Amino acid sequence: MKHASYMGQRVLRLEDAKLLTGRALFIDDVELPGMLEVAFLRSDDAHGILRRIDVTAARSRPGVVAVYTAADLGGYWRPGPLLVPPPPVPGLIFNAATQVPLVRDKIRHCGEALAMVVAESRYLAEDALDHVVVEVEPLPAVAGLEAALLPGAPLVHEQFGSNLAARVHQRKGDYAAVRGSAARVIARRFHYDRGASAAIENRGVVAAWDARAGELTVWDTTQAPIPIRNGLATMLGLGESQVRVIAPFIGGGFGPKIMMFYPEEVLVPWAARQLGRPVKWIEDRRENFYATTQERSQIHDAELAVAADGRILGVKDVFLHDTGAYDPYGLTVPINSQCTLLGPYQVPHYDSEFRAVFTNRPIVTPVRGAGRQHGVFVMERLLDLAARELGLDRVEIRRRNYIPADAFPYDHEILFQDFRPLVYDSGNYPAALEKAVELIGYADFVKTEQPRLRAEGRHVGIGVVSYIEGTGIGPYEGARVTVEPSGMVRVATGVGTQGQGHFTTFAQLVAQQLGVDVAQVQVSTGDTRDFGWGTGTFASRGAVVAGSACHAAALKVRAKILALAAGLLGCAEAEVDLFDGRASVRGTPERSLTLGELARKANPLRGAVTPGTEPGLEATAYFGPDRGNAASGVHAIRVEVDPETAEVKIIRYVVVHDCGRVINPMVVEAQVQGGVAHGIGNAFYEQLIFDDNGQLMNASFMDYLLPTALDVPTVELAHIETPSPLNPLGVKGVGEAGAIPTGAAFAQAVEDALHGTGVEITEIPLSPSRLYALIAQARGGTS
Amino acid sequence: MIVEGVHVFPGPREVVWNLLLDPDVLAKTMPGSAKITRTGPDRYEGTMAMGIGPISAASFDVAIVITDQLEPERYTMQIDGRGGFGFTRGIAAVTLAADGPTTRMHYQADLQVGGKIAAVGQRLLDSVSKLLL
Repeated sequence: MKHASYMGQRVLRLEDAKLLTGRALFIDDVELPGMLEVAFLRSDDAHGILRRIDVTAARSRPGVVAVYTAADLGGYWRPGPLLVPPPPVPGLIFNAATQVPLVRDKIRHCGEALAMVVAESRYLAEDALDHVVVEVEPLPAVAGLEAALLPGAPLVHEQFGSNLAARVHQRKGDYAAVRGSAARVIARRFHYDRGASAAIENRGVVAAWDARAGELTVWDTTQAPIPIRNGLATMLGLGESQVRVIAPFIGGGFGPKIMMFYPEEVLVPWAARQLGRPVKWIEDRRENFYATTQERSQIHDAELAVAADGRILGVKDVFLHDTGAYDPYGLTVPINSQCTLLGPYQVPHYDSEFRAVFTNRPIVTPVRGAGRQHGVFVMERLLDLAARELGLDRVEIRRRNYIPADAFPYDHEILFQDFRPLVYDSGNYPAALEKAVELIGYADFVKTEQPRLRAEGRHVGIGVVSYIEGTGIGPYEGARVTVEPSGMVRVATGVGTQGQGHFTTFAQLVAQQLGVDVAQVQVSTGDTRDFGWGTGTFASRGAVVAGSACHAAALKVRAKILALAAGLLGCAEAEVDLFDGRASVRGTPERSLTLGELARKANPLRGAVTPGTEPGLEATAYFGPDRGNAASGVHAIRVEVDPETAEVKIIRYVVVHDCGRVINPMVVEAQVQGGVAHGIGNAFYEQLIFDDNGQLMNASFMDYLLPTALDVPTVELAHIETPSPLNPLGVKGVGEAGAIPTGAAFAQAVEDALHGTGVEITEIPLSPSRLYALIAQARGGTS
Repeated sequence: MIVEGVHVFPGPREVVWNLLLDPDVLAKTMPGSAKITRTGPDRYEGTMAMGIGPISAASFDVAIVITDQLEPERYTMQIDGRGGFGFTRGIAAVTLAADGPTTRMHYQADLQVGGKIAAVGQRLLDSVSKLLL
């Protein structure tokens, strides 16, 4: 049978022809007659009182149509919604402070928007910014995480009396009791610092109000078009059906585009309605460094209690999390850190407490990995140090602590970010480890190659780390599948798409059930007119949640086709085969109808239909998993370090990955490869550096280093498949996997390469200059 | 950012003192082009334009207030500059010591820089700030 299975097939991406020939619509391609453009005046100060803002001169500039300050917004001015409420952890403290559309009285981070200029062109709008008179009374800034909590520290939000944004304590077992019986307790302080998500395409919003139709259309680089539509409708006093949000092709999301109701997102549609003309705002790169959310500053004081044989007795971790000036995304990031630290290991006793802290820095919301990096880094580093102290092999200590393959579902006994218990659905960690170790040639490298190269004076190292990626969380997504009279199959779902290959993987899932060529399936994502129910693209949940909804809708349509075809062809439903775009009677393929013919027959113009049936070959279905699933993997890396220049060369990078059943291996491989590139940037190049006044000192690609193609090796990839029991497809997410353990792998390998120098790596990102300083420091210390 | 330095002038303290507080001289000592006028006994205002790294001509409105004067030994400058490219503000302490026929000027400034000039000119700021003073 042709098209017997699309599951697991290396189907070429259906969207690529469009993308590669410049026919895909990106936000800046949206050009409308009479369209105005926006520039925002952003604060140079990180913290201060806005004493006065005078836009009179700016308003009278040529080509300027409107200039708005907070006062001009009237009742429309209000802080954004709290997007993610805190999970029900006993004793939890959470102070909610969400971003404002324009600063009304107090500036809380550098780059916060003060005024909005709407003009005939972006040039004219930007020129007018210089003519806005701003008087700011500067306040001392809250720049450091620890300094933020000291008594007498300046306050980001006075109403809370301190800069504490949240405090969460989760416990399993009794760590204090077990600590005394440990053979070793490894304790260290670990730092992880901020980076930008650095998507190729910055954010943008275009809005057009059609007064005759009473309809607002918004193009938005969001990962969550449907919640944006719903929120805008409420804010603007419109019905949800009066607002259409289109998330077009987007040049990378990585999390900051799931942050919702950014000031620009709220103001551009409002201005379009006020002015009765289309309005466009495209973020420039410098704005992106301040106005788009960021991630990853945490400081962990962690300790690991181990038995003499290397078994983990327990872990205690106390950490600070930088949430930036506001915390609209709740506790997703630090809860992920807290949960992901446990990794694939059996940790009988766990005591983890974090405090999230307000600082005068741009807002923190998830960026690819979303806090998971920190947990993995802390745990993997502690295991490395424990192995060294106990004289154990690094791989062996991991082997001894894995959750066994037959122990699933495995309950870690704490709460995950989806408010559900952190219970792993499936996995086989030892198998992934053995495969990775074999692929990178660990045993041979450690036994023969490394000693030989070291004898030659070369500094080569290897790193092998494990991680869990909690993926595929609820609440739900939906999809509608329609067979059209032409025989084309249309699939509409609500998640936005930012390059993940949704047009292909969702088409594969539907083609699989309907027996059509995958090229016959057209997918629409991210247009609320096509599908209006859903939450968005985050937490590596597209394939799991929206994919399962596509699958469920396809099954419903399949049932309709079988029933209709059986009636028309005069056979039992069980005798109908679907292949080649036809429904045929098994054994007599000449007795068949095309799906297009069936679609026409399912929508008659005259006559009677059976009561209870629906017209057309169309169905909508929803899927919501009980809880997220646990994708996992092992990264193994070989590096060579030049201790004189601190240059690190990545020799090989191996990933063994388990994302459950694979829909399209090429899509998975691309996600992992891209994630590793992201992770390498995070580990060795990318760091946002703020001074004590909250000023970002490297807000350009001149000083903020991104890895290039020369710095990123081709990942050697192997799969392990432990199907998830939580969805009908058995899939798990893969979007963040590549980026999560990279820092930990890098640190272990670099430290191994510098064996004997005394360099210990407890911070990420490293940079060549930081590594150089660590080497120099270690040398100074030993001489 | 702390900027510190010493400059030796070939002349007596009293002359150096008067020159340093003369708005025309003050303007000439600024990098780029500057126009400074005295708007009060201890207050100067004006504009200056300078290039920092990739920013070719950053224009600032500058206000300088002189405090703690002990002629001809020392004074403190409060500097507040603001423009489309960001701000610079801070306090500079200047002392003049007679050294034979010459005068040694020591300055120490604690400056904050914000906005574009902080974000994209950071690597060059230290040397530019020295020039400024």
